[in-house]
Amino acid sequence: MSTAAPAIRVDGVSRWFGSVVAVSEISFDVMPGITGLLGPNGAGKTTLLRMMTGLAATSSGTVTVLGQPVRDNPPLYRRLGVMSEHETVYGFMTGRQFVRMMGKLRGVADLEPAVDRAISLVDLADAQHRPMDTYSRGMRQRMRLAATLVHDPEILILDEPLNGADPRQRVHFQHLLRKLAAEGRTIVLSSHILEEVEQLADTVLLIVNGKLAASGGFRAIRAALNQRPYHVRVMCDAPRRLASAVLALDSVDAVHVDPDGAIVVLSRNVLDLQIELPRLAQSAAISLRRVEPLDDSLESVFGYLVES
Amino acid sequence: MSAVYFLTLRQLSGRWRIVVMTVLAALPVVIAVLMLRSSSAPSVREFETVVLSGMLAGSIAPLVVLAIAGAAFANELEDRTLANLTLSPLPRWEIVVPKLLAAITIAGPFIAVSALLTSHVAFLGDLRATIAVTVSALVGVALYASMFVWLGLVTTQAIGIGLLYIVLWEGFFAGFVAGARMLSIRHYAIALMHGLDGRRFAAGSHMSLVLAIVVAVVVFGGFLMLSIRRLRRMDVP
Repeated sequence: MSTAAPAIRVDGVSRWFGSVVAVSEISFDVMPGITGLLGPNGAGKTTLLRMMTGLAATSSGTVTVLGQPVRDNPPLYRRLGVMSEHETVYGFMTGRQFVRMMGKLRGVADLEPAVDRAISLVDLADAQHRPMDTYSRGMRQRMRLAATLVHDPEILILDEPLNGADPRQRVHFQHLLRKLAAEGRTIVLSSHILEEVEQLADTVLLIVNGKLAASGGFRAIRAALNQRPYHVRVMCDAPRRLASAVLALDSVDAVHVDPDGAIVVLSRNVLDLQIELPRLAQSAAISLRRVEPLDDSLESVFGYLVES
Repeated sequence: MSAVYFLTLRQLSGRWRIVVMTVLAALPVVIAVLMLRSSSAPSVREFETVVLSGMLAGSIAPLVVLAIAGAAFANELEDRTLANLTLSPLPRWEIVVPKLLAAITIAGPFIAVSALLTSHVAFLGDLRATIAVTVSALVGVALYASMFVWLGLVTTQAIGIGLLYIVLWEGFFAGFVAGARMLSIRHYAIALMHGLDGRRFAAGSHMSLVLAIVVAVVVFGGFLMLSIRRLRRMDVP
């Protein structure tokens, strides 16, 4: 276990708006490397990130960054880079003007080389002199990231940074974040997409309904996910025959036949089921018309993790 | 500080605002010309009450300043770009002061030129009266700007509430209720005008020059401090 001081410490933090509790009694430490804040939309990720950056006050609990309280502590922002989820930019500025202004606001001493470096990091040198209102959504996100990086912060807090990025941009972005983390920075990024966080984060904080549902390495969380029971709905031309046959499969826990003739299979090993079900149908001369998961939404995945 | 100042200048100098301000600023000049050309030319007292106090200090100046200063923070709160400034290591006063100065920089010249032309036409080139009217108008701009910058930070309805304030407080109560004048920016500006040219505007003064200056400084500084305090404590979207 590491004994180094955490870069960010969230201690018993809650935030409520009137009678609505957005974040409830959350505590965790963030160490250098990439930490993914994962959760469905409306889980409280953005509220939590806003408290971690000092943009919003906590209702109770404390947030310290590099050992200092983050709220009402402007000097700390020399060491902190924040990219909010809002994609609004100053459309009348060119990308370079925007990054230069952000560098100036953050007190960068040698400004022009810093602007050059930040823009080249996001691979937007060719577009830097264009007004930002002519940029695509992905380009705006990248230029906002350049502005976040211009003062070379030790800690990066990025709220849904991959929104609007195309696949090529995502790959570039992931390489860049890994490079920045390898240089010793602490990076916290939020996402509601499991795979996105899985590809990037060393540590995952899972937020559901304003609570910390799980934390740790992604493998542990993924393992829990793989054991999750799936309901799969199957339409075929001989439902009762298929229902009795699939019960013999090791990957199937239970089966029932719906009044409309569909069978619903409960499986804890959906990967094996994907292979075994077509084989079984073929050997029994049963035609499969439709196979669909019933509870593959992100909310149901998160819900399962919370319950377990 | 200059980055915030120039950013705010650019944000507040939209085309529609400039057009509206130009039209509003031209109104007192046009009214002054029409009044002087009419068969029954007004007295200095009538001109002061109707044009300088009622129209320029009580309506045009606050409306122009409201359109500018009310948006200094409100626009950034609405489009959620204020975090770009508040996530910088600047002390909060280095964000509020340049924004206030930018609002005064944009609104000030319109009101100053309007006051200068209006008084020049009305007082037939009397330099002292022209200076008194112009300086007091500029002080009024600064006071209104300080108040409306704060208003834009505390509510998303700054324009609506500002309009109610202008119509009800400055236009109605302060005009008819003697005690309300002690809390009226319009009357601070008028008292300053009286003090700067007592020869022409002596009659009907409600407040001494010294008191007007003291109150103006307190009001300007007070709203400035409230804005800084608000920016330190508020949740920034």
